[in-house]
Amino acid sequence: MTPLKQGDVVFDVTRPGASREQLALFSAGTEDPNPIHVDEAFAKRAGFPAVLQQGPMTTAHLGALLAERFGARLKSLDVTFTAPVFPGEALRLVARVERAGADLVCALAVHKQDGTQTARGTAVVRP
Amino acid sequence: MQLEGKVYPPYRLKPDRALAAKMLAGQGLADAPTTVPPTYFIFLRGETRGVDLFTDLDIPREKALHAGQRYEWLAPIGWDDEVEVTARIASLAEKQGKGGKLWFADVEYEYRLLPARTLALRETTRLVKRG
Repeated sequence: MTPLKQGDVVFDVTRPGASREQLALFSAGTEDPNPIHVDEAFAKRAGFPAVLQQGPMTTAHLGALLAERFGARLKSLDVTFTAPVFPGEALRLVARVERAGADLVCALAVHKQDGTQTARGTAVVRP
Repeated sequence: MQLEGKVYPPYRLKPDRALAAKMLAGQGLADAPTTVPPTYFIFLRGETRGVDLFTDLDIPREKALHAGQRYEWLAPIGWDDEVEVTARIASLAEKQGKGGKLWFADVEYEYRLLPARTLALRETTRLVKRG
């Protein structure tokens, strides 16, 4: 495989919007007791229009895509959540090589279909 | 009580295929997990195991937001492995946001493979309390 260089796209993947049932499954799978992901009335009391998709689901998407590409070479993943995601909102996840040196450094960006950025981050991959 | 720097008593975890399958199904991935998902280990699992962050940090659920996560993988963790987890409140900070004061807590988790206690994973989570 040709070595990756600065600017190369590692992945550019769109995940379909998750249903409320999927959010409930993810909460169960991560032992997340926060009702804001599953209880519509609670989410509205907290000031949101609907239940919130878990930030860690975005991290899990990124982690899975990076692990699929790099396996055990994946060294670290840093994710900052910048806007909430609601049920049914598809996510476009992009990783691009920022620096190819001793380690490979990838810039990560996650956007909703309306263009809102919902997460950004960095992944570091061992040579 | 001084919370910054607080270290919780360690707890133990073994990866559970059924929980991992629910995570994947939640992500819309139908396949059964073959390896332990990279982000399977997550701070949330500590909440019923003595690391009651939301109570200790006085963050009511309706005011809590999750600002970010960091993972650093140092050694693979397999289905048959058991890890010892130590959580530490690394930092607390108050910042002025657009809509009022925000309060940030960074909590670090170390996952050590048993019985050798080899450090296999570091996880940091950043929680936010809205004012």
